[in-house]
Amino acid sequence: MLFDSPAYFLFLIPVVLVYWRLNLRAQNIFLLLASYFFYGWWDWRFLALMIGSTTMDFLIAQKITPGQTDSNRKKWFVFSLLLNFGILGVFKYFDFFTGSFSSALETLGIHHIPLPLIRVILPPGISFYTFQEVAYIADVYKGRLEPAKSFLDYGLFISLFPHLIAGPIQRPGHLLPQVQKSRSFDADRFFDGLMLIFSGLVRKCVVADNCALLANAAFGGQFGPSNFWVVLIGTYAFAWQVYGDFSGYSDIARGSAQLLGFHFMVNFRQPYLSHRLQEFWRRWHISLSTWLRDYLYIPLGGSASGGWKTSRNLLITMVLAGLWHGANWTFVVFGAIHGAVLAVERFFSPAKAKQKDPALSQHSVGLLSLWAQRILTFNVFCLSLAFFRAASLPAAVQFLAGLSNFAWRTEYVSAFFMLCLFSVPLFVVDLLMEASNQEYPFANAPYAFRTALAAFTLIILALFSGNSLNAFVYFQF
Amino acid sequence: MPSFTSSSKSPALVYARALLGICAIIVLFLEICADYLLKHDSETYARVSQQYADAVKVRSSRPGEPASVLMVGNSLLMEGIDVDRLQGLTSSKMRIYPIFLEATGYYDWLYGLGRLFRQGARPQVVVLGVGVNSFLQNSVRQDYAPMMFFDVRDVLGAASDLKLDRTATSNLLLAHSSVFWDIRSVIRTQILRRTVPHCSELFSLVKPKPVLPPSPELEADTIARIRTLRQLCEAHGAKLIILVPPTPSSEDAVRQMAIASQKVGVDSLVPIDPATLSERFYQPDELHLNSEGAALFTSALATYLPVELSGSKSASSHN
Repeated sequence: MLFDSPAYFLFLIPVVLVYWRLNLRAQNIFLLLASYFFYGWWDWRFLALMIGSTTMDFLIAQKITPGQTDSNRKKWFVFSLLLNFGILGVFKYFDFFTGSFSSALETLGIHHIPLPLIRVILPPGISFYTFQEVAYIADVYKGRLEPAKSFLDYGLFISLFPHLIAGPIQRPGHLLPQVQKSRSFDADRFFDGLMLIFSGLVRKCVVADNCALLANAAFGGQFGPSNFWVVLIGTYAFAWQVYGDFSGYSDIARGSAQLLGFHFMVNFRQPYLSHRLQEFWRRWHISLSTWLRDYLYIPLGGSASGGWKTSRNLLITMVLAGLWHGANWTFVVFGAIHGAVLAVERFFSPAKAKQKDPALSQHSVGLLSLWAQRILTFNVFCLSLAFFRAASLPAAVQFLAGLSNFAWRTEYVSAFFMLCLFSVPLFVVDLLMEASNQEYPFANAPYAFRTALAAFTLIILALFSGNSLNAFVYFQF
Repeated sequence: MPSFTSSSKSPALVYARALLGICAIIVLFLEICADYLLKHDSETYARVSQQYADAVKVRSSRPGEPASVLMVGNSLLMEGIDVDRLQGLTSSKMRIYPIFLEATGYYDWLYGLGRLFRQGARPQVVVLGVGVNSFLQNSVRQDYAPMMFFDVRDVLGAASDLKLDRTATSNLLLAHSSVFWDIRSVIRTQILRRTVPHCSELFSLVKPKPVLPPSPELEADTIARIRTLRQLCEAHGAKLIILVPPTPSSEDAVRQMAIASQKVGVDSLVPIDPATLSERFYQPDELHLNSEGAALFTSALATYLPVELSGSKSASSHN
């Protein structure tokens, strides 16, 4: 069930009400069953796959505890990686690579080679729970984490419904202890959870769904042949759509988790205020970018081995990050653009690139320069989104080729107006949150004010949502 | 031991409860307002509910009386037919009961007609005209139709036919049960029309274009759908006529639709060959007939529909 559907709230409310009446063990059993029901709501057939994969990793983790011999531990660790990425590869990438190989053979003049395609539906959330399982196995192998003793705890860590389908990808060291320890009801966190859910719904149903209308039209050719204005409308609208969509999803996930006494990591921190792409990836889909940093980029050598190797590692990491988003060359190019720009940024200003505090960076460059860099970074991201959104590489190239044509239509005024109507309020909210460093707007305001604000957002939701044809973008990953 | 140990007097909990209570009141308020707006301000609702109520009362005519014709379709018929003029031109031969709802297609009318029959409508002839694209689209209108045309079992049937997932099915069920949920996209569109300059032009531009299946599947789908509709109409003593309104560059599709109808033994009526209509007969959206085109289409329909009726036999003779 989608987070923005009434069905989800008909599910969530009784789950929360029953959950807080139970003791810890009963809570975990109840949540595990509720999570399996939530997952099975899409397709019961894939539930077996997820339970099977969870069971295997739970058992393998017992084999790689530090007490075992090193060769045995390594053997089981590699087996687990092969198993997890094998399942992901078969379901998500098999047809893509087979099809690409077949096309390559045809380009070389080799025809009629029968290559099998499995044409299977992608199990929901497989990219997310696979990464979570791999993180768990890797942490146990490296000795950073004790393996879970109870399958119930581990199963719940993997399948807890707020993060199950589209993250945020939870780190074992953060979530597993929360599953294992007793949770007491915290009214403040409960209230914040409600506020996060409201914030997420507005981001998704008001900002993303309305911007999607423009993005779909621009990329679908309804505005006519591509030109400068269509590219601008399409990429900007899609930028706000994907941001509203996924940050909204993350907020609802985090809010739902807080209603159950769990804390999830923040997944977005005003990414469009980044003044460099490196900073952007510290603010955008943080759970994925930190996963890639810790389990791919650093094991590859990170930035420890000098300029060229760092660039290589960045490129590999970002290309794989792109491919993680979907089995299409468009995503590979999206990742490659980001890898290349990150490498260039690092090459030209390695010292500045290491700054981690956005506030610090604000002081180190002038305000005008900072905003110029923010605008540049946003536009580089928008340019890469043309590949992210287009159906194929030729379609993306054809779309961007229109940039040299400035033909104008009066409908573009309405499109830009509508884009501003839905994106500017979110931008202002981001500016407020950046200034106050809060998890949602006015998080420190009195309860009465926040209650009124939530009621107001419900009315905004009622008046401006309704374009219900857009499922969450990240569900397909 | 339950872990719900926080004091019920905690301000956060008090406000959380207040917020949930306010939400419930707002939802109730929205439902009441939506119901009021629908019944007092919606021209579409007023028109379609009146047409639907009239259609439920349709009965077979006695010998010597004009035939009762239930004419259903979408905006192609609504813009393309002057019903009063058509009725005037054909009053001795038929009594027309129209129900036109924009953006409806095959599934809206399959289940809409089924419900009308269940509620007692007994027309002698059912004329369905939605255009080829809408006839082949795999969707139902998300507003108005679930509330006005469907029962719960129709919603479930349509969801099953359309292979909707459980979330989409529950949304459709809610649209059937809740006025606010049903018309929320209408409310949003109305607000945007008043907020965004030239919004109507923008919306007509950004409306997704229907994607038709490839030709072999198109014919198979058309045949299957016409057969299902024929069976439904025949089961209630009505003859089905597929009316194909003209749309630009639709000659091939119209021809395929006519051939498919013929294969199933259903009369199809193409009063005007789309190839003979230049763009001056269409509205700026290049889809709907303008007043000049509508006059032409109505006249042609007034000529050919009675011929189709007089040449037709009762539904039972097809069996």
